[in-house]
Amino acid sequence: MNKVIEIKELNKIYQNGRGIMDINLEIYEGDIFGFLGPNGAGKTTAMKIMTGLIAPDSGDVRIFGHSITEEYEQAMAGVGCIIEVAESFPFLSAYENLKQFSRYYPDVDDKRIDEVLELTGMIKFKHEKPKKFSLGMKQRLGLAAAIVSRPKILILDEPLNGLDVEGMIDIRKLILHLAEKERTTFFISSHLIHDVELTCDRIGVIYNGKMLNIDRTDNILQNYATLENYFVSEVERNGRVPSSTNQ
Amino acid sequence: MAVFQAALINEIEKLYKKKKIMVAIIISLSVIIIGQLIIVGMRTGFGLRGVGSVEFPILVLSVVVNTILPLFTALVAIDCFSSEFSNNMMRVTLTRPVSRFKIFSAKVTTIVFFILFNLFVLFVFSLLAGFLFNANSATAIGLFKIVISYGVSLIPMIVLALGIILLTNIFKNGTSVFFVSILGFLILKAGAVIFSQYSSLFITSQLDWYNLWLASSFPLNTIVNQLLIMLGYAIMFFTAGYYLFDKKEY
Repeated sequence: MNKVIEIKELNKIYQNGRGIMDINLEIYEGDIFGFLGPNGAGKTTAMKIMTGLIAPDSGDVRIFGHSITEEYEQAMAGVGCIIEVAESFPFLSAYENLKQFSRYYPDVDDKRIDEVLELTGMIKFKHEKPKKFSLGMKQRLGLAAAIVSRPKILILDEPLNGLDVEGMIDIRKLILHLAEKERTTFFISSHLIHDVELTCDRIGVIYNGKMLNIDRTDNILQNYATLENYFVSEVERNGRVPSSTNQ
Repeated sequence: MAVFQAALINEIEKLYKKKKIMVAIIISLSVIIIGQLIIVGMRTGFGLRGVGSVEFPILVLSVVVNTILPLFTALVAIDCFSSEFSNNMMRVTLTRPVSRFKIFSAKVTTIVFFILFNLFVLFVFSLLAGFLFNANSATAIGLFKIVISYGVSLIPMIVLALGIILLTNIFKNGTSVFFVSILGFLILKAGAVIFSQYSSLFITSQLDWYNLWLASSFPLNTIVNQLLIMLGYAIMFFTAGYYLFDKKEY
């Protein structure tokens, strides 16, 4: 399988001492990779480095073989993302927001914009401005913006934030649809472990800025009743090591 | 180039949709109308001549380059940078296949277009007002001088805009940038009076450099000198502004 994302010895330490340390990870074409970790574990930091929003202290991320620090435009050409919150320009309509993003991709036209608004259930709000949208609607618009360019990779940080049950099911279906029909690779972080279990086929656990384990979901579920049990077990096993050595 | 064009169109669209341009037009027109009413009042009430059709646009320029034009430029620069930093809107743009240099350049170019547009509006309406109220003093040379004055005023305004853009990349919020810009402007204006021998080095003094172009004996050396100083400031402000923009973490 083709390697589409390669993270090598990635380090980023903030002034408060938190961050990520020595992250190594490979994502292959068609993967739906779930990135699990408690709050402050370093998920968003890793994803921000992957999308060029912050620079690493050392190490590199290569997307389709292009370094995110040195060949940003080429690396991001096939990537769509939502980082932390799905932001949009509040003074532009949903359509105008998507039009702004579409200008960076030569093959995205108005038909495609309508298509993604339809896919995300936002077509009836096409000409409304996001300042009047609920959190869930903003999230849907953010997803529409992320997929408008038909990206080969989608990096989604908490994509189900603010969505109701119906919205979560819709987005999960959309992820599975894109993975199956368009072979889109997903890199998803979520605190909703059950949802990750239902969606992702590979799981990586990050804790205290370190990558603890990476495994296939089906392998994990052979040994654990649920993904939650596996997650708790991994965090407890690895999390207690440094605290016990410190004592 | 196509990526830069896309970034530029996006920035212009955002500026247009925020209706800042409409506000700038309305206030610019108000300045011209008030100015012309004062002149008409002086002429009819006190019997003073006031200014002729070709002098009125220069009079308007002398007022706006030190007041509303720097003010609008500061507001638009703050809007393009600080507002997007504080609302996390910058992430939306930065996570597209476009380099930070192209985004920064597109934003700077948009602000330059805004200044150019504002100067053009002031030029057209002040000229019209001048002709309407005192058409008999119009000459081709006079018209040429107005065009030159408005045209060359773009350069110091760009330098000023680049200075404010640098501030937007230093301070976290737009309000701080706005007050620091105004304070800096007033300090430089006062500094140019106190240290008059160095006034040519102050960017606020260069806002009036269009006067050099109107002199009867063309001061080429002084113009080249001023131009090079402004170019130096522009390069330093652009480089420092871009450096901070590029290093920013979102």
